[in-house]
Amino acid sequence: MARVRQSPVIAWDRAPTPDAATQHPQYALPLAETGHGPTPVSVTATKVRRLWFCIYLPNLPLEACGPGDKALVVIEEQQGVHRVLLAGEHACAAGVLPGQSPNAALALLPTLRLEERSVIREQQVLELLATWLEQFSSFVCIAGPDVLLLEIAGSLRLFDGLQSLRQQIAAGLETQGFAASLAIAATPLAATWLARGRRRTCIRELANITAALRQLPLHCLDWPPAATESLRGMGVTNIGDCLRLPREGFARRFGVKRLLQLDRALGRLPDPRNSWRAPERFCADFEMTEEQDDRELLLAICRELLLAHEKFLLARQLGTQRLLFTFFHLKAKATSLPLGGVQADRAADHWFGLLRLRFEQLSLPEPVIAIRLRGGSTQALHTESGRLAFHGKAPREQYYSMTQLAEQLAARIGNESVHGVTAVADHRPQYAWSARDLFATKAADVLTRIRYGLKRPLWMLPEPALLTMRDGHPLHQGKLRFVEGPERLETGWWDKDGIARDYYTAMNPAGVGLWVFRNRNCRRDGQTNGEAAWYLHGIFG
Amino acid sequence: MWRGRGQPRASEGLPSGYEQLDRHLPGGGWPQQALTEILIGQYGIGELQLLMPALASLCVEDPGADHIEPGWIAWVAPPFQPYPPALQKWGINLSRVLIVRPRNDSEVLWSAEQALSSGTCAAVLLWPQALDDQASRRLQLAAEKGASWAVAFRPLTARSEPSAAALRIELSAGSRGTRLSILKSRGGSPAVLHDVV
Repeated sequence: MARVRQSPVIAWDRAPTPDAATQHPQYALPLAETGHGPTPVSVTATKVRRLWFCIYLPNLPLEACGPGDKALVVIEEQQGVHRVLLAGEHACAAGVLPGQSPNAALALLPTLRLEERSVIREQQVLELLATWLEQFSSFVCIAGPDVLLLEIAGSLRLFDGLQSLRQQIAAGLETQGFAASLAIAATPLAATWLARGRRRTCIRELANITAALRQLPLHCLDWPPAATESLRGMGVTNIGDCLRLPREGFARRFGVKRLLQLDRALGRLPDPRNSWRAPERFCADFEMTEEQDDRELLLAICRELLLAHEKFLLARQLGTQRLLFTFFHLKAKATSLPLGGVQADRAADHWFGLLRLRFEQLSLPEPVIAIRLRGGSTQALHTESGRLAFHGKAPREQYYSMTQLAEQLAARIGNESVHGVTAVADHRPQYAWSARDLFATKAADVLTRIRYGLKRPLWMLPEPALLTMRDGHPLHQGKLRFVEGPERLETGWWDKDGIARDYYTAMNPAGVGLWVFRNRNCRRDGQTNGEAAWYLHGIFG
Repeated sequence: MWRGRGQPRASEGLPSGYEQLDRHLPGGGWPQQALTEILIGQYGIGELQLLMPALASLCVEDPGADHIEPGWIAWVAPPFQPYPPALQKWGINLSRVLIVRPRNDSEVLWSAEQALSSGTCAAVLLWPQALDDQASRRLQLAAEKGASWAVAFRPLTARSEPSAAALRIELSAGSRGTRLSILKSRGGSPAVLHDVV
């Protein structure tokens, strides 16, 4: 029973691969489904059902120039002459039409802004959109200069059904200022053509695709004008007419490529796509139309960049520890502002807090014309689990974590001024500890197992201080009284910093416990004339 | 019967590890969530040894409460280098020591305030150049907010200056050990102790 019910599904999935089909002689079958001849040989059989969501952006050249300006006109050079490509809302109302010369458009509406079309900028906008779309599907592909495709069969359950997903994407596009035509179909090409034809349809079943495509005019195919014109001359005006043509003749006249496209759109052939992958490092620029020195405004722009950065990392479930802001000036060298965190993070608010602290101290030599934000190397973000509240002893109420505190302190007083400590297994007192970098990617293991049985002072002088002598006796605010010692510490020849010292615990007349030593390498430092020198190295505190 | 309302009840203190001192402190130890001032004539008179047992008890990881991380101990602008091997010998958890070396006095107070109010530091030791009445009040409030213990080390000349500290003690060299005088103690009374450390 099950096999009978499944048979139509298998039928659409079993189709020759494109390469096999073009070479196979038996592939010469009519385009029309009611045609004669054998069906394509089944080569692959996948049971995965796919659903493609197409976003067609007809006004992308206009929208890429920035939102909000309704009197904007995008012009493009066509055969050496500038022509209006697209006109904004106000320009349209004034009668500006695509194809007009810029002068004609200016005569109709003197206040309009002319902007040259930039394909690179459109591509950047498309990539930004693709990045944003990655939250809805793991498979996003840029299918053309103005078309984005998403595979959504796997996302339906997560986003609570087709209707809800469609609404979320549509609302998101609208808030970002894009007028998009959306269509959903079981094959990527069918979805693209339906979107180009402005059909707000959803074709979930493969069997229904032919019927849906039949009425679409030829321009939806986005074929070269020559092919379209030639088809029109034959009296073919829509895809339905196209499908009625004999396969062999169609392939000879218009190329196998077009025939393959039709087959792929109908689901007779598989249509593999490459998923778009955003670069792993974030880099975004914000260019201003004029120089700015309003610091609040610059901060607001930085915040926008940080928000974009957060979205970028969110789609990848990553965080970063380092960021670099670069402020460009027209005449002076660019000012850079690196930011670092103890822990990888992506939250824009967190980075903005750090930026604000550092930005206060930053001096800009000139007004700023552009800001660039470059993200550091990324790493998987580890989030901490929350704590359950039913333990007897309530945990300390934390307003912010240690890492945040260290970041705040370091942001204001400098990275090198905030550090931890660790003990090092070395007998020489000056090497028995080291500063621990709280900002290191991997925290150095803190030696906690070492247990010193030896008496050591709590305060250490950065460098041993030479003690004055009287009658061969060291002085520190008076004559020293030795309490313990000597403890002989010797050698370190392996790193050329050998010592030979006798350490004593001594009390000075003021009642302060001191850790002093007699240097037995008196010849080496040459400060005393052959006599053993006494140094103060620590205070017992 | 009138029992006297509004009398500040001494909250539980942090045992100092020195019995003689605990007996004279209200709550049986160092006042928590408050500022303690230690006035010293010179460094090394025993001021760190006085604090060490209490600081060590703050670092102990309680195996029964594995969800509670021990607090950090921040050292803001220490005059010398706190020596890790000695700290370890006193039982301080080195992975919880934070050293902050600000460039000027206003940054010392700012850093200490941040550390106190963050709620992550169990204790904040600071060595300010000067600490006026207002600054001490700010530290006191920050300590209350972050449930932390602030310890400020000040010179003997600060004795006559007003302060919002909950506890002020003065250390001086005695005949055999350190002499400790309690100048001010919220909920307690002044006292002079000999040979504490």
